[in-house]
Amino acid sequence: MTMTGAAVAGGRGEIARTSLRRRIESHPFSWLLPVALLLGVFYLYPIIDVFRLAFTNASLRGGEEHYTVDSIRALIANPILLDILWTTFVFTAGSVIGQQLFGLGIAVLVMRGERRRLYGMTALRTLVLVAWVIPGIANGLIWQMLFSEAPFGAINSVLRMMHVQPVAWLSDPNIAMVSSIISNVWRGTAFSMIVFYAALKAIDTTLYEAASVDGANGWQRFRFITLPQMRPAILVNSILITIATLNTFDAIISLTGGGPGRATEVLSLYTFNTVFRNLDLAGGSVLSVLMLVISLVLAVGYASMMPRREANE
Amino acid sequence: MRRKFRVALLATVATLVAGAASAQDLIAKDRVGPADAPKTLSFRLTGDGPGNTLPDIAEGYQKLFVDFIQKHPGWQIKLERMSDNIGQEQARMLEQTKSGTGPDCAAVDSFVLALFMNAGVLKPLNEYFTQAEIDDLFPFVREGITGKDGKIYAWWWDTDLRVLYRNKDIVADAPQTWDELKAAAIASKDKGMEGVLVNGGRWEGTTFDWLANFWAQGGKLVDDSGKPIFAEGENREKFLKAVNYFKDLVDSGAAPKRIATIVNYDEFNAAAAAGSTALFIGGNWQLAQLKSTLEPEEFAKWTFSAIPGPTKDQRSTGTGGWTIGAFSSDPEKVAMCAGIAKEIYSGAGNALQQQLPTSKALFDKYDVFKSDANKAFAAALVDGQARPGVPIYPEISNQIQVMMGDVLTGAKTPEAALDAANAAVQAAYARL
Repeated sequence: MTMTGAAVAGGRGEIARTSLRRRIESHPFSWLLPVALLLGVFYLYPIIDVFRLAFTNASLRGGEEHYTVDSIRALIANPILLDILWTTFVFTAGSVIGQQLFGLGIAVLVMRGERRRLYGMTALRTLVLVAWVIPGIANGLIWQMLFSEAPFGAINSVLRMMHVQPVAWLSDPNIAMVSSIISNVWRGTAFSMIVFYAALKAIDTTLYEAASVDGANGWQRFRFITLPQMRPAILVNSILITIATLNTFDAIISLTGGGPGRATEVLSLYTFNTVFRNLDLAGGSVLSVLMLVISLVLAVGYASMMPRREANE
Repeated sequence: MRRKFRVALLATVATLVAGAASAQDLIAKDRVGPADAPKTLSFRLTGDGPGNTLPDIAEGYQKLFVDFIQKHPGWQIKLERMSDNIGQEQARMLEQTKSGTGPDCAAVDSFVLALFMNAGVLKPLNEYFTQAEIDDLFPFVREGITGKDGKIYAWWWDTDLRVLYRNKDIVADAPQTWDELKAAAIASKDKGMEGVLVNGGRWEGTTFDWLANFWAQGGKLVDDSGKPIFAEGENREKFLKAVNYFKDLVDSGAAPKRIATIVNYDEFNAAAAAGSTALFIGGNWQLAQLKSTLEPEEFAKWTFSAIPGPTKDQRSTGTGGWTIGAFSSDPEKVAMCAGIAKEIYSGAGNALQQQLPTSKALFDKYDVFKSDANKAFAAALVDGQARPGVPIYPEISNQIQVMMGDVLTGAKTPEAALDAANAAVQAAYARL
């Protein structure tokens, strides 16, 4: 083949590739199909089935299944639901606030340490991340040992050594909620720390330099530069960890089992109990739909806060 | 002569090695029998099997399973191990068997057996057991496995019961009544103990252990049709009396408040090992656990007696245990499943694990059950009561757990907690 021939062939190849790209771009269905199938089978179908089951009397006990709105009616009439929603709100709000505060605090600490080139900052970051990778069940068991009210319980033993009255960490309904929040904050703080650490890294350092020239002190720099610059990260993080906390049940089931009484029974755990203890598949499906709606509202809020692509991009 | 002897010795060793290798080939982590055997039985089991965490027990079961499969050539058993979350495992298995994707044969917890029977997923096992074997079962066991049509739908192979454990050095005499237990527990606090320990958290053990106090008064959870009646008439009084008994134990300091958090029998073993309690209500199987946990001289201080009742003559104890049921529609597989229940678990399995058999004949057959402790457990089975085999029981249990937490922590009065529990149970019953 001559040089001219090769160039012509290359040109034809280029034209063919461009044509294929155009065809794919104009017909996205074909290349979206595999992922659509995957999402449809593993995500969409279960959701649709949960919606369907919510409109039935389905039970793991057996019996004929038929369509009804009785399960939805039973949920609305259930006096326990309001208590469960309140417990869920307290647990979620406490966890989200705690994770944000500690996450921000640790991220700022790590940033300051890095700026001053202190040793051990990487170790500190890794240490915080360790809690994040621990499975929820293990997290619950760890804190159950720490909060144990037996004479040999870890935290209470330390308190006794310090001549401080032991605390009813898990047997007092109010303190049990606080204990659950503490364990969840301990586990979830790392995620907030990572988000905030990335956001802090992105802040233009000239802003701080300018503020220093203007005579701003540390608090003023944090209040008027750091916080406003991190606002989008804080908002997005709030929604992400709210959704994650709403779905938390493994850490609670292993720490308190939802007790004492129903003191720490959050919506996700109540849903689990409805299906696997009461064997009420329809009731559990209605609760799952409720959880989905709450998460969807939060997800829509998250989407609205995401930076939008400009039309001319 | 010497040569002949050598040849014989070599042949013997070769045979033994081949035999051992062959036995090893017959058992793997998830299979018993040759991997290429044409017929397969899937068997879902708990830790009671070749995968037991205790090496001696695991080895014993491996031998029993290998012996069994050698008697049934052409078969392999696929072992499916359940997790420790039994409630969830059983619920999942119920769903799977209903949709036809469950195992051919499985261990079914006796307290949920009624759910499986009512769902119509179990196959009758009458033709694999003689009438004499069925008649020899303890009455609560026989009733538990018998369906409305009079056929047996599982084989209940082991049982257990709850007793009061005590440290004789601290509590010399066995408390016979509720008042005596309260007094003994308070007295034990003077010796540095934390009082009597019982289950009180959100789990089945709380309901089951406490129900002995309700049953001892003759209380009934459900009527003959399975309708919940525990909050009606005399039952309500008996129920409240039993709840107030536990509340009084906590309010008086005879039991620590932390019992509202106890969701595991192991907590009692830990407290006994730490020397922080002299009294607890636990399962019969804990005697062996205490023996392996405590130093011999410490273990010698521990003994057990029947759970105290409101009076000396009013006694009861909850009895549980495991059954084996067949889900397959293939008669050959049902026969294999019944064989596993009969030849591996019932009798041999009981003796291996020292788990109480469900018939008098088996108590008499094995020497391990002739020990003083096992004789005492067998005698206590006279007061044994199984949980009602009705579909609403799991919800009753769930509500009793919630109620107990609310009452023990003072969040609700016993009356208000009972009314809330009853309202929730009746609502669930209406939806059955």
